[in-house]
Amino acid sequence: MSDLLFHVGYAHFLVLSAVLFLIGVGGCLIRRNALIILMSVELMLNAANITLVTFSRMWGDLSGHTFALIVIAVAAAEASVGLAIVVAVFRGRKNVDVDKLTALRH
Amino acid sequence: MTRILLLVVTALLLGSVAVPAIALAQPSQAEMRDAIRAQQAAETSATNPGQVSITHGDHIQSSSKSMAVLFWIFAAAVIAGALFVVTRRNLIAAVMGMVGCFLGISAIYMMLYAHFLSVVQMLVYAGAIMVLFVFVVMILNRPEDEPVAPTGRAGGVVGGVAIAYLVGRLVMLLVKVVPVDPAASNAAPHPTLQGHAWGGVKAVGTDLFGPGIFPFEAISILLLLAVVGAIAIARPLHEDDEPGADNEGGKAHGGGPGSSPPARTTAAGAGGHS
Repeated sequence: MSDLLFHVGYAHFLVLSAVLFLIGVGGCLIRRNALIILMSVELMLNAANITLVTFSRMWGDLSGHTFALIVIAVAAAEASVGLAIVVAVFRGRKNVDVDKLTALRH
Repeated sequence: MTRILLLVVTALLLGSVAVPAIALAQPSQAEMRDAIRAQQAAETSATNPGQVSITHGDHIQSSSKSMAVLFWIFAAAVIAGALFVVTRRNLIAAVMGMVGCFLGISAIYMMLYAHFLSVVQMLVYAGAIMVLFVFVVMILNRPEDEPVAPTGRAGGVVGGVAIAYLVGRLVMLLVKVVPVDPAASNAAPHPTLQGHAWGGVKAVGTDLFGPGIFPFEAISILLLLAVVGAIAIARPLHEDDEPGADNEGGKAHGGGPGSSPPARTTAAGAGGHS
């Protein structure tokens, strides 16, 4: 038990990343506010980044850092486009509840 | 709202404590020398080029107790921030929880020797993306997201302490530049076989502009597309007040929320004045 507490290994970082990812998935599935869903997506991307950096450290290979940087850039692009969509939807409907966006439902 | 203020103060404290604390928690010179000696012994005894080898063994090389305590603190910050994001109804509170979460992740990166990524995380996520989110929350301007002004004595005290702390830190930074610990600087050039520069700007840049040059170029195009796309999506649909030749086009497409792309592109081409 004290070994688990005081010897922080790669597994700790990986478990942290898994928990963060699960919280992100939960937020995506449970919440109906589009902004919260976007934030949950960001949480999931960050969890993936922690995994990448941990494995990068584990193998002594810097490709993981490069990949994490690219993921950060993709996340920034995703956030900007997603928030633009949220603003556009809000302008038309005056709310951002994803359960009420049923225009594409047949 | 005192809760939000408390959260901001916590984030500030975390950020200000993180860097010196992690610097203190780095392994001592003797520990590093032992580790390097062990590693070199392992390399000389069994050098097998065809075999993939894990460079640092099963544990993080600097697994001291203070490091472990810091890991638990920051892991708790990450998880608590993430739970805050998922559970809060108030969007501003959710965004602030996310800032705390990202600062914790940045500290976690620091523990994994990813210095450059840690700073990028702080700048891009806790800085830029979160500001974007706050702006959108403010634009939506729903009544339940109002950041209630801290009324009462408690809110004032917390806010005052936070501001005083921030100003104090800034003044300390301006008055006295803390010199690098000489022991740490002695240890810096050869703590691991790759050196402390392992996760630094130079190493990451060499990898990014060497093998990673194609994703890098692709990401630049993606960012350009994202900027253009975001502007094209978020611009107002009705252009009635625009003095120009495309008045009838604006009237034809002004009513519905789903105006067709051709009208929008012509409007974007014509409306270069603003």
